[in-house]
Amino acid sequence: MRRHRLFSLLVTLGLLLAACGTTQGTPAGSGGDGEPSASSGGGGTATGGTVRIGVGGYPDSLNPGNGVLAESYNMYELVYDTPISVISSGEYVAELATDWSVSDDGLTWTVTIVDGATFHDGEPLTAEDVAFSIELYRDTEDFPFLPSYAAPFETVEAPDATTVVLTTADPLVTFEAYMAFIYVVPKHIWEGVDDPVAFENEEMIGSGPFRLAEASQGEFVQLEANTDYWGTPPNVDGVIFQTIDNADARVTALTTGDVDAITEFPATAVSTLQNTEGITVHIADIAAGGSLRDIMFNVTAAEDCPADVGVCSGHPALKDLTVRQAMAMATDKQQIIDVATLGTGSPGLSMVPPGLGDYYASDVEDYAFDIDAANAMLDDAGYEDSDGDGVRECLPDQDCENLTFRFNYADDIDTAPREAELLQGMWEQIGIAVEIQGLDPDTLTSVCCPTFDYDIILWGWGSDPDPAFLLGVALCTEIDTGFSETGYCNPEYDELYDAQAVEQDHAARVDMIHQMQQILVDDLPYIIPYYQQSIQAWRTDRFVGWPEDDPTLGFEDPSGLLALRPAE
Amino acid sequence: MSGRGGYLLRKVGWALLTVLVVITFNFVLFRVLPGDPAKSGLRDPRLNPAAVEALRERFGTDKPVFVDLEADNPFDSQFTAYLGALSRADLGTSYAFRDQPVSDLIGQALVNTLWLVLPSQLLAIILGSVLGLFAAWRRGRALDVGALTFSLFMWSLPTFFLGIILLVAGAQWFGLPTAGRVTIGANYADVWEAALDIGSHLILPTLTLTLVLLGEYMLIMRSSVLDVFGEDYILTARAKGLSTYRIIRHHALRNAMLPMVTLIALNLGFTVSGAIQVEAVYSWPGLGALTVSAVADRDYPVLQGAFLLIALSVVVANLVAELIYGWLDPRVSEG
Repeated sequence: MRRHRLFSLLVTLGLLLAACGTTQGTPAGSGGDGEPSASSGGGGTATGGTVRIGVGGYPDSLNPGNGVLAESYNMYELVYDTPISVISSGEYVAELATDWSVSDDGLTWTVTIVDGATFHDGEPLTAEDVAFSIELYRDTEDFPFLPSYAAPFETVEAPDATTVVLTTADPLVTFEAYMAFIYVVPKHIWEGVDDPVAFENEEMIGSGPFRLAEASQGEFVQLEANTDYWGTPPNVDGVIFQTIDNADARVTALTTGDVDAITEFPATAVSTLQNTEGITVHIADIAAGGSLRDIMFNVTAAEDCPADVGVCSGHPALKDLTVRQAMAMATDKQQIIDVATLGTGSPGLSMVPPGLGDYYASDVEDYAFDIDAANAMLDDAGYEDSDGDGVRECLPDQDCENLTFRFNYADDIDTAPREAELLQGMWEQIGIAVEIQGLDPDTLTSVCCPTFDYDIILWGWGSDPDPAFLLGVALCTEIDTGFSETGYCNPEYDELYDAQAVEQDHAARVDMIHQMQQILVDDLPYIIPYYQQSIQAWRTDRFVGWPEDDPTLGFEDPSGLLALRPAE
Repeated sequence: MSGRGGYLLRKVGWALLTVLVVITFNFVLFRVLPGDPAKSGLRDPRLNPAAVEALRERFGTDKPVFVDLEADNPFDSQFTAYLGALSRADLGTSYAFRDQPVSDLIGQALVNTLWLVLPSQLLAIILGSVLGLFAAWRRGRALDVGALTFSLFMWSLPTFFLGIILLVAGAQWFGLPTAGRVTIGANYADVWEAALDIGSHLILPTLTLTLVLLGEYMLIMRSSVLDVFGEDYILTARAKGLSTYRIIRHHALRNAMLPMVTLIALNLGFTVSGAIQVEAVYSWPGLGALTVSAVADRDYPVLQGAFLLIALSVVVANLVAELIYGWLDPRVSEG
């Protein structure tokens, strides 16, 4: 679950909007007749029974400030509204906000809020509530994520019921992305809360298309349709997210009809499900892919080692770019995709996955798979296997014996052990040995960063809708904070990062971000073996309107529910 | 001190001491694990140092673990805070679920666990004892060989594997539910429908757990009864011409039950720890599942609470076993 939180939001929001059918071309409901909404669903609204979704995890909190897991955010997306949403093409569109603009100096934002939205308890939603929510997230430092999305706003004001005015100290190019995380909570409830972190929020009053009916920790979340929704209400009566821990049990639950859809199941179950009548397996187009697998190298230079906590025990030979380049050339990305993920991925390049639209630099020059060239390169550099044990020795000026590296992977990724073995076999062919050990995510964090007490780690990332988040992991300035995982430092890269953060011209910013991706591939703090495609499966006997005809929509999280309608 | 009163006092004293040791050990054990709860609970390294500091302060993990002799107040430590809260019966607040008191989390999980494990234990104890008794009685015959093979097979089968097999078979062939305790969101017409629903959800997990537990009870019961059958007083009873039923009921069973009592007490004690593997297969939100996720999150308060509860119940179950021992075999409490 770690580090896979954010991207699913992008998909969620895309589905939500597609389903509402206001600003989008309603691609999601095109299962049969083009018009997905109430008219085709059997006459009225909310006539349709309850959709059951089998999921692997469960929300960790009903309090939107406290949520960490993707499951929580899926729920918030349905129960709460945000001022602005992002859709899968990377475009930002209106949700609660009808309009937003920035002053000429780029420091004052004016947001107009929709008139007539109400909370689940019947109270009207006004600009006051939006302003209150932004301040709540900004000022509650103990909330894990949301404060960073509200932090830039120095003043927040609501001069009238439909206007919010925000000021920032520096121009904010990611304004829309930040607004997509402001879940608007009712001021009349939250202003009486002393400690927002300790607030359980059991009633979960929001303004979204679904309201909370019942939730049981570790068991299920039951939402019911908000028939008074200010936008287009759902066509179904409700939705149940049922936690089914075991992947095989999830697959069985779908085949027996206990649930209508499942997410997160092993690629090995794909063919079984494809051959089961009434079940559709949907493999998302890679262009919607927002998650990546990464192989990171500890390249921390001695002078960059964090003062107090740094161990910086990285293998000296890995700091040699030639060694990393040879390893990249010996990495058969396609084989990893075919064997470990059974083909549900595409070869990776850098930290920006294809799902981020034009920020993704597909033309980055990568290393071609070539074992012989890799061997020749290491030979030329002087790494020789003088004792004939199959592993090359270090150079004389390096403080190490031979090219044997510690290799850790995150043991909560089910394909990681397989991938580690494959990599071991590939690198063996160029005289590089790895000692594989799986570690739980927390232990991995403690050896990773900012201690830098490892050689190689195989892990994964889920991206933000904006590339600035993931590109930040390679900054010199993040080495001490522990956000940098590799200890990589290239001032040229940092300069570009700082420049793009304030660049208001989109094309110019995209260009800088493309340059940064090329630098990452050239300098190789990471090898990105592949970008992941999400896989979902659903039944069509009780509900139709699943987002199968839109190639860019992954059903990564099940909020396409808004487009669903009962089967005839 | 001698006699029953002394025996009782001694046993209770030891039990209390054990609990105290466990409280301390629990505290140390989890802090030896690598990792930082302030970060792991959040699963994201992109936290600014101030936020991490704020969380540590909230959790209290910014304080020294035991004592810090250089500090103003050397005893203002995590351990004294833990003991203080515990003395007020306050188990603290979960790190991973930051708005949930540990007692709520554990309480709900405990109810769910007992719901599953108690019926399974009872079934396994009854079936295992009866099967063991009959196997011993029919030693070497087809019944014995069959029961023995079956028990050994079930005992050695990995729980996880058996669970998956039963789940797939039960769901595909008999239409039994695949996960959870009840059909979520169901509106029952009457009480019978509710009972039927709950019952159908219980069948597979209970069956799995019963089969896994049964073997051990059967094997212990069988060998224990066989031991007793070899005793002289059984031979005497036979020579007196007593019926087999009378021999078993009045002469063999009570003595043969001693090892069973130990086993039952031990197993019942561990009942509250849940059946981790069965809970995982059938998505049963019990204590086992909670403990596993708490380990992954370095959720010290939940772990401390869960382990304390498990330790307490094991100690209490053992105490009860000792007392039953004394009643079954008066020699124990007199000696």
